[in-house]
Amino acid sequence: MNQKAKNIAVTLTFCLFIAAAVLLCALRARDPLTYSSVEKRPMAQFPSNVTWQSVVDKTSIEQFEDFTVDQFPLREFFRSVKARFVLNVLGLKENNGYAVEDGSIAEIKSSFNQQHLDHSIGRLAYICDRYLADHDGNAYLAIIPDKNYYFAKDYGYPAPDYDALIEQAKQQLPALEYIDLFDTLTLDDYYKTDWHWDQSKLADVIGVLGERMAFSNRLPAEYEQHALAPFYGGYHDQSALYPAPETMTYLTNDVINDCTVYDYATGETTGVYVPSLFESETSYDFFLSGMKGLQRIDNPSASTDDELIVFRDSFGSSILPLIAQGYRTVYVVDIRNVIPATLGSLLDFSGKDVLFLFSTTVLDSNTFK
Amino acid sequence: MIFSSISFLYYFLAACLLVYFLVPSRLKNLVLLLFSLAFYFYGEPVYTLLMLASTLSAYVHGLLIDRTRGTKWSRVLLWSSVVTSIGLLGFFKYSDFFISNVNSLFSSDIPLLRLALPIGISFYTFQTLSYTIDVYRGDAKVQKSFIRLATYVTLFPQLIAGPIVRYTTVEQELSDRKHSFEGFAAGVNRFVIGLAKKVLIADTLGLLIKDFTASGDRSVVFAWVYAIAASLQLYFDFSGYSDMAIGLGRLFGFHFLENFNYPFISKSITEFWRRWHMSLGQWFRDYVYIPLGGNRVSTWRWIRNIFVVWLLTGFWHGADWTFIFWGLYFALFLLLERLFLAKWLDKLPRLLSHLYVAVVVLVSFVLFSADGLTGAAADVGAMFGFGNLPLWSADTAYYLSSYAGVLIVALIGCTPLVKTVAKKLYGYRLSGRVMNVLEPVFHVCLLVLVTAYLVDGSFSAFLYFRF
Repeated sequence: MNQKAKNIAVTLTFCLFIAAAVLLCALRARDPLTYSSVEKRPMAQFPSNVTWQSVVDKTSIEQFEDFTVDQFPLREFFRSVKARFVLNVLGLKENNGYAVEDGSIAEIKSSFNQQHLDHSIGRLAYICDRYLADHDGNAYLAIIPDKNYYFAKDYGYPAPDYDALIEQAKQQLPALEYIDLFDTLTLDDYYKTDWHWDQSKLADVIGVLGERMAFSNRLPAEYEQHALAPFYGGYHDQSALYPAPETMTYLTNDVINDCTVYDYATGETTGVYVPSLFESETSYDFFLSGMKGLQRIDNPSASTDDELIVFRDSFGSSILPLIAQGYRTVYVVDIRNVIPATLGSLLDFSGKDVLFLFSTTVLDSNTFK
Repeated sequence: MIFSSISFLYYFLAACLLVYFLVPSRLKNLVLLLFSLAFYFYGEPVYTLLMLASTLSAYVHGLLIDRTRGTKWSRVLLWSSVVTSIGLLGFFKYSDFFISNVNSLFSSDIPLLRLALPIGISFYTFQTLSYTIDVYRGDAKVQKSFIRLATYVTLFPQLIAGPIVRYTTVEQELSDRKHSFEGFAAGVNRFVIGLAKKVLIADTLGLLIKDFTASGDRSVVFAWVYAIAASLQLYFDFSGYSDMAIGLGRLFGFHFLENFNYPFISKSITEFWRRWHMSLGQWFRDYVYIPLGGNRVSTWRWIRNIFVVWLLTGFWHGADWTFIFWGLYFALFLLLERLFLAKWLDKLPRLLSHLYVAVVVLVSFVLFSADGLTGAAADVGAMFGFGNLPLWSADTAYYLSSYAGVLIVALIGCTPLVKTVAKKLYGYRLSGRVMNVLEPVFHVCLLVLVTAYLVDGSFSAFLYFRF
């Protein structure tokens, strides 16, 4: 190709590229996306109610900017191109905070937000002060390390100060007996494409909890393992790397199968596993129907009348079917959905053991009411 | 609106190119003017009138200076033009700086104006000034068409971040310019490379700077890595923007002068400033330094001239003492070089002279990027072991290994190596043909990558639902 032909080729290629993008943008604008299931947020729309004031104060202009980016065609393709270029070509260790090692994806975090920790632990302290001051049962605290704890340790990534978090929780929650779970897990116990742990790999966790909370002897020895596929973990799309889907596993036996879950908000009763929710946007909602304010697990096969109140997040959802085998009734509270001040009218704490079971990620969020 | 945005690339530029090349030649300036005003209005709706007022002032002053040429009124009108332009710039950019300093000095309580800084005011003010001064000096013919002058001042490729295009550079092309595949292709090449420099390299280095700022585990080595990253980010950001401006100019038939010429290969600070932000350096040379007498005066007056020019250069970059010290810092080295170091530097091995420039420049850009003088002192102190920091830390190892690739690309990219190799390859018949075939493919790849970065830039997972 000579110089003249090259100049024509460069000109035409550039113009065609721009024209193709314009055409695709125009097509998308006719049928814009309203919601991103990957980012779990509404997508920006073409500005409506444009007025002179909204232009001058740039509100409409900013809306338009958001619209052009959010509605750009082939969004996930372009995000994937960027992620692969950043990680594989430039060799950065993270893209948008996500790192990959041996097929396992983790969200890298080098520090906790102290304000968030103060808020979360403060809310737990409030519950202890209000409901457990004259409590006649046992009360425990177990903190679940997030995947980043093991990922950072195994592959040399930065990590927040987990020891300081535990120390703060212990100091501010002296009424709770702390159960250390950090040595019971490894990176392999978490899904490769998700932040959650795999229920079928929690034998050591259950062992420690059962021993400290004295329900080990009430657990059946046998489980049947089941698989659900394809399981697209949360990092699968968010990392924009789209690795091969995984298989989600769960355990059953006669005791678990007989357990029922009552949802106080809807009045509905389900099993501890809800297969239809595996197909939902968040497959992990399969366990205890996901995020619910207040639920009650009834175990008709229980060999005890002991009752337990568990304050939990989604990590708790997956382990609770196993824990529930050791109790007649387990009350499951999610204080991201229930205002702790109202719990007194909903729950009677007397005679019941209480377990606060939270992942470090949720403690580091600002989501407790 | 910035060039590295979806709205610019696939909405504004697409529409502008289409309309520009569809209309007849006599309407092309009008199209450029209208699109340039829309471009500015999009970013600064209110201040568009201010820019037009500044342009109108330059237009009227130019006409009057020309009409009164040879009389004392010509000089009066020139000063009127200078005072008007500098007055607007001073009011909008420097009011709060002066008020806060007066308040500090006299313990007064004059309320701050808190005016938003009009985008590009430093650039278009210097352009209008160069026009009226050149008309006064007879270096440029007066422009009788307001549309042409306004097109020059508001021309969107160089409007908000330079280079500072002198009126005389585009005087001819405002009335008669040629469009060709050669010019358009050269423009595309320059624009796409500038876009990639900005989005792929400068913005990634920006992440390293952010990581350094957020790190609670800094070290002396990390402070130097930060200094290198900050300097390279400034270079790739600013030179990338200049490349885009020059490239866009070529698309529309204009030839803007170069603004950067591989400044990091300099062997002295004097040479560095001949290669860095050349349009600003030339502006100050022609409109401040030489009128003050340049170097054809006594040593003391020459020293004064250098300090005045560099004080103004620093102040031009921002209304903050940090920028003033930054300018004076360079004045000091320029004086030292001229008075003592020049001969010594000539005799030094190249590696050592490069090292000298690197250290001086790295410190300067840490100062430039710092949050106030206290922050600057802390950052520079950390580089030289005065920050009570260890030599090395875990974060240093992590971030250095993470960003090693982009740092190497940036370090190679700031030298003429790639250009030299490409030139050689174009020079041979066979490889030249291959390069000609690969060039448009290369542009498409860069455009895809840049678009990917821009689209991903809005990624924001709503985390609340995750647990």
